[in-house]
Amino acid sequence: MIFYLFVFLAISLSFFVQEFVPYFEWAFFSRLLIVHTVFYCSAVSVQFPVMLLFAVYAGFIWDARYHVPVYTETTLSGPVQAELPFGLSILIFGLMGSFIQGVRPLFRRGRWEMPVFLVGLCTALGLILEYLLICFHRGGLEFPPELWWKLFMTALFSSLVSPFLLLLFSRLADRVGFKIRMDGITRRYQYDGDAF
Amino acid sequence: MSRLNILFLAVFVAVFVGVTLFQPDAVQRIQRGAMRVFSPFMRASTGLDSTFGEIGGDSLTPVELRARLDQVMRERDRLRLEVLQLDELMIENRDLRRALQYVDRSTLSLVPCRIISRKPANWYNTVVINKGARDGIQVDNPVVVPVGEQAALVGKISEVRADNTSVVLLLTDEICQVSAKLEGTREQGIVSGERGMLRGMPNLRLRYLSKEAEADPGTVVITSGTGELFPPNLLLGEVVEVETGAIDAEATIRPVVDFDELSDVFVILPRAMDATGPGTDTSPQDPDGADGAVQPAGAPGDRGEEP
Repeated sequence: MIFYLFVFLAISLSFFVQEFVPYFEWAFFSRLLIVHTVFYCSAVSVQFPVMLLFAVYAGFIWDARYHVPVYTETTLSGPVQAELPFGLSILIFGLMGSFIQGVRPLFRRGRWEMPVFLVGLCTALGLILEYLLICFHRGGLEFPPELWWKLFMTALFSSLVSPFLLLLFSRLADRVGFKIRMDGITRRYQYDGDAF
Repeated sequence: MSRLNILFLAVFVAVFVGVTLFQPDAVQRIQRGAMRVFSPFMRASTGLDSTFGEIGGDSLTPVELRARLDQVMRERDRLRLEVLQLDELMIENRDLRRALQYVDRSTLSLVPCRIISRKPANWYNTVVINKGARDGIQVDNPVVVPVGEQAALVGKISEVRADNTSVVLLLTDEICQVSAKLEGTREQGIVSGERGMLRGMPNLRLRYLSKEAEADPGTVVITSGTGELFPPNLLLGEVVEVETGAIDAEATIRPVVDFDELSDVFVILPRAMDATGPGTDTSPQDPDGADGAVQPAGAPGDRGEEP
């Protein structure tokens, strides 16, 4: 419980830290998405239901702060359909969090290569999902080279920061006696002597 | 998958669907609340940014500083004289208008604002400014900046988040479309940014020009005022090249505004709204030190729409 509280505080704090994270013009205005990075790093260590709760929390606050209400459909009573709907980040966090949960066994065994890679990959996938939705609304798929660079650099920033966060979560889990459980994915990897 | 996981997954999906069905009003209320919490941090971030930006910047010797100070003082004296002359002209103008029972056709009023957050969104070119509903700012109000002695369009208000915070959708965004014309011609089209253009100074596209459109590189592009959202004669950019297609022509435009260097901007309010709203002062207000008035390139009262 203490660990979950700490993760909750870490995600909350990351929103305030995000305000101070600059974007880099040389990297096509990419920046470190610290909220995403903290969430994905925490998703490696917490259980599935808790991850979903954090996804709702992080996605909701992210959209409350960063959602741009560009409405593509308007009726007489007002705008009805936003290009990127409010709450989309909840889905993105939930989807990517579920994806990253698959490497919990590796994280538990102290193998961080895959989690670090996946944190970057999930950050980029979340961004490209948003971009594809924008393309879907506006019509036509356009992939200028800058787009790939932005995705790559954002993923790289996340991956570079993630080892420190993973270390932080790992140390804290040890300190408070939190065991990273792998319910749902342990059985497949468990050695069963009776099978022979 | 355990029952607990399935239950939480179902709740998650229900919450997600519920949130996406929020009405725009509800979303606006949520975002206003969030802005109230985050705006002090946004301001602190901008303050830090400018402080660190100045460190290691132009370091001048005392002699150079003295020379610059002299130059600034001379300029100040010149402007003081100019202001005095303009004051006299304004009084004279007002008297003449009154005498002629002139109907005030000028519909523009400017609110100076400071940018407090840049490019907060991932895929939209937006900035956040420090003025909002309290100053009478509304969605779709044009945002301009002085370039030389003219006003250049920066974008439009996409959202008024709080009493003192609004979001500006920049001209470089694909979704910000402006009716424009080539200066000195009758050629009109629509200017917009390009999707995924993430460079500091992305070019703009002037679409739907007639096939016969001819423009030399350097031809100035200004707002036409046709859509009535943006006043006419605001600077947009200069033509880089024109490509003629089968049925129309398209021009590449280099914007006159350096969007990376923006710090203070002006929001154009309709004067009627300004007079009834809280900010009834028609003279530009001081945005934490930002000062100066800006006028559109054309006469303020000239809102004649082009054919």
